[in-house]
Amino acid sequence: SARKNKKDKMSNLVEEYFEAHSSSKVLTSDRMLQKLRKRRLDQQTLHDLLKKAPLAYAAEIKDLNQQHESLFSKWMLQLHLGFNVVLYGLGSKRDLLEKFRTSVLQDSVHLVVNGYFPSITVRSILNSITEEVLNHTGTFRSPLDQLEFIIRRFREDSSLELYVLIHNLDSHMLRGERSQQILAQLSSLPSVYLIASIDHINAPLMWDQAKLSLYNWLWYETTTFKPYVEETSYENSLLVQQAGALALSSLTHVLRSLTPNARGIFRLLAQYQLENKDIPSYPGLSFQDFYQQCREAFLVNSDLTLRAQLTEFRDHKLIRTKRGADGVEYLLIPVDDSTLTDFLQKEEEEV
Amino acid sequence: QQIQEDLNKQLFDNLVSFLRRSHSGFQEKTTEWTCRMKTREIPTAALVLGVNVTDHDLTFKSLTEVLQNNVTPYIALLEAKDCPGIKNLMRKLIGQLMNCQVDVDSLEEEDYVQVSQNRIPCSMTSLISWYESVTKKTDAGTPRKKRTSSSRHWKSPPVVVMFQDMESFTTRVLQDFIVISSQHIHELPLVLIFGIATSPMIIHNLLPHSVSSLLCIELFQSLSCKEHLSTIIDKLLLTAQFPFKLGEKVLQVLINIFLYHDFSVQNFIKGFQLCILEHFFCQPLSVLCCQLGDAKKKVNSLSHNQCENVRRLPSFRRYVESQASEQQIALLTEDNFLKETIQKLLEDLHIYHENYIPVLRCLHVFTSSLPKYPLGKQIRELHCACLENRVWETEEYESSLQLARMLNRSDLVTMLQQCVEILVSSPGKEFDEAVEKLKEFLTQFHKLEEEAFQEWDVSVSSPKELQKKTDLYHLQKTLLELKESRRSKKLTKFEMLRFEVIEYIDSLVRNYLVPADHKTLHEIMYFNTASVLREHLNAAPRIALHTALNNPYSYLENQALKSDGGSISNKAPDICIVYKLHLECGRLINLSDWLEAFSTVVMGAEGPNADAASSDHVDDVIHARFIRAVSELELLGFIKPSKQKADHMARLTWGGC
Repeated sequence: SARKNKKDKMSNLVEEYFEAHSSSKVLTSDRMLQKLRKRRLDQQTLHDLLKKAPLAYAAEIKDLNQQHESLFSKWMLQLHLGFNVVLYGLGSKRDLLEKFRTSVLQDSVHLVVNGYFPSITVRSILNSITEEVLNHTGTFRSPLDQLEFIIRRFREDSSLELYVLIHNLDSHMLRGERSQQILAQLSSLPSVYLIASIDHINAPLMWDQAKLSLYNWLWYETTTFKPYVEETSYENSLLVQQAGALALSSLTHVLRSLTPNARGIFRLLAQYQLENKDIPSYPGLSFQDFYQQCREAFLVNSDLTLRAQLTEFRDHKLIRTKRGADGVEYLLIPVDDSTLTDFLQKEEEEV
Repeated sequence: QQIQEDLNKQLFDNLVSFLRRSHSGFQEKTTEWTCRMKTREIPTAALVLGVNVTDHDLTFKSLTEVLQNNVTPYIALLEAKDCPGIKNLMRKLIGQLMNCQVDVDSLEEEDYVQVSQNRIPCSMTSLISWYESVTKKTDAGTPRKKRTSSSRHWKSPPVVVMFQDMESFTTRVLQDFIVISSQHIHELPLVLIFGIATSPMIIHNLLPHSVSSLLCIELFQSLSCKEHLSTIIDKLLLTAQFPFKLGEKVLQVLINIFLYHDFSVQNFIKGFQLCILEHFFCQPLSVLCCQLGDAKKKVNSLSHNQCENVRRLPSFRRYVESQASEQQIALLTEDNFLKETIQKLLEDLHIYHENYIPVLRCLHVFTSSLPKYPLGKQIRELHCACLENRVWETEEYESSLQLARMLNRSDLVTMLQQCVEILVSSPGKEFDEAVEKLKEFLTQFHKLEEEAFQEWDVSVSSPKELQKKTDLYHLQKTLLELKESRRSKKLTKFEMLRFEVIEYIDSLVRNYLVPADHKTLHEIMYFNTASVLREHLNAAPRIALHTALNNPYSYLENQALKSDGGSISNKAPDICIVYKLHLECGRLINLSDWLEAFSTVVMGAEGPNADAASSDHVDDVIHARFIRAVSELELLGFIKPSKQKADHMARLTWGGC
């Protein structure tokens, strides 16, 4: 009956799952981060703060890593016998791989790929192989051609050996089917030794049978408990202020350099946007209305000057224009409301 | 390491040759068929290869070779990954065909360059003109080309295009290619070969009727991967040729991975390779794992430390304990005496292997014909059972003997004959006696033949009596009587003989099929650490993450982290606390609540020594730590930012994991 019990438990779990996912309504509190008196931290202060926080259990973590380091010679042997090594487990494996590189790969040709870097592409990996390793100058029509060239060179010249270390093989840029296919083919070359790390829980879903056999993985659990410092610095988070979005500091900086009238124009738009922030489908302020308001406030005297001013804003990414369903141009400030409020407050203080 | 590589190589050669052979029959059929085809439609061979995609490479490679040698020099092998569009396909095809030609004719470098320059225009017309020029060349031909083309191939050899993985091609490309090439079939004799992993239905699913009507398809079935497995096990494990052996658990793991996960022979070989590697890397005495002659030489040159290693082996300790006390002392202190003993033991082990396999095969002959297969249908199951335990102590063995005692004469005779064959062909010397014995049994059976016929007559006559009586009661009575008399009747000669045979087989089993674990020094040859295999081949990253997050104590051995069951101590690493809190949520997680809960937990941990003055600063640090932990969870794929509600995260996992 233990089995039956288990089965019951299973079906309960399944039912629970569908129950939880059946309704789109989710019961969570409506509290928001802004209501906390915390301001949002930016990347730099976050980094500084974290430096102050001591890393817990440093001694144990060190022990753990030393255990992993004792495997280095084994990895080397296995790499040479045609296997490739993949590391999984909790914690950043960057330092471990780096240690592997410095202690074992000193004298051999090796390539380090930072998969977590947001602008990495397979093309750039292939390029660095052809240019740096094979000393080939020239371009290729497609990555496939490039790969073919690399494979041919490695087949012809048996003295060529290359170690490839990939941090975060499962990162956003490399997880695509095409790039995995290319990397797998690359790793199947007998003189290319690949050692990679994965972190995402669903990372093994990237590989089908064919790719798995090309990769020829040996799995190693290397739980390090080290913080993902480099890896998460590119991760978009709701909690951190984005470099991509306009920050308050840059907003004020740009506006300082403008004429008083131009600042007035921007303030007008900001005020209007804040007044309407509770309307979910707020499309922005239409150009005609905006022109009218600016005229009334004696900020512009013609259609043309306003347009010129708006072009300048747009160049600084201070505003965005959107065409509505009726074909009218609507103007929006692509900054979140809290920053905008802060900005207006600051402006008022100055005035 | 050297030995290891040698072994690997030996193993690989063996495998490759085996795979070649197993495919050759199938290939011959295909080849023959390719020769025959000459119709208006495009002749197409559909090879149903099974789901183990990874093994197909080798099949296609050898098929190419066979075709190249016997039929045509023009072969192109297309893979789906190279052909996202019709243009790529054509370019690849033409490039391959021209290079093929170069390979076969072995032209000079200049021609090669020319050919590769020619790769840029790639249309059907250029292909046809190329083909015409080539065939013209071979028709008119220089003597050398004549030799290559006319002796082995015919005048206009077909162009074979192989699609290795039919399923992964895009429909569009395939259709276009077929339609285009069907229009040029007169100028360009094309033959297509599809490699199909699933079932022939896929052709009709991928191609509409208008396209598939252009093809003239013939189906070919390849061997199922299970048969491959059993042959491989036969070749690799059930020979005395390789000194390296697999333990029972390891074999079980490998077979399970094969049968329950991927059906891939290549992965099986990979696992086997890993076993070899691991064995020679970790076991210091594995140097002795080689052919008997070499091993004996190596024993003589063992160092003192290695001798100590031998003494430490559990199986050797058992052996020592069973010896007399003077010998015990000698074994434990004198290296030279130890070396002699080791040589003797190794020889024993070697003889054991030589005897084990033929006896195992004999037993398999018996058990594989029994109804319901109590000991398994395949020889590998029997092998596992024999390795696992003393096989004659198991219930299954008992029941199979019971069944064997009821075998009829003709079956028994054929089985005995098979056994004789196996034993005669085996290298072991101890079987002369056994063979003699079995042969004697056989002759006795022949003698019995006539007597058996007479008995048959007797037994046939008895039912006739039954037919007279129709009354149910009487029938029952006579049947009972018959049964009684049969029970009390003395056993016939045949039955006696049958018992004797079975007894004899039983004794063979008891003598020779002792599990390897019970042998002294088995550690040298047997690899039995199944956990290593499971870890490295069949890893479970999610479980590793889950345990690390749920129970950090299993990795970080600090007393502060020790906690019971579900709860987690508040001194755990940040990410563990955040993870634990997130498990309590439903589908969406409110960030500010989460942050507050986190800071409560963490403050609780630091509580007493945190003073009020710096609370603001502490707050900031906690906030930062929270941000770090959350973004780490996001990186790991447990959560993602949600747009459904402001400042919320969506959970991507369900339940406890």
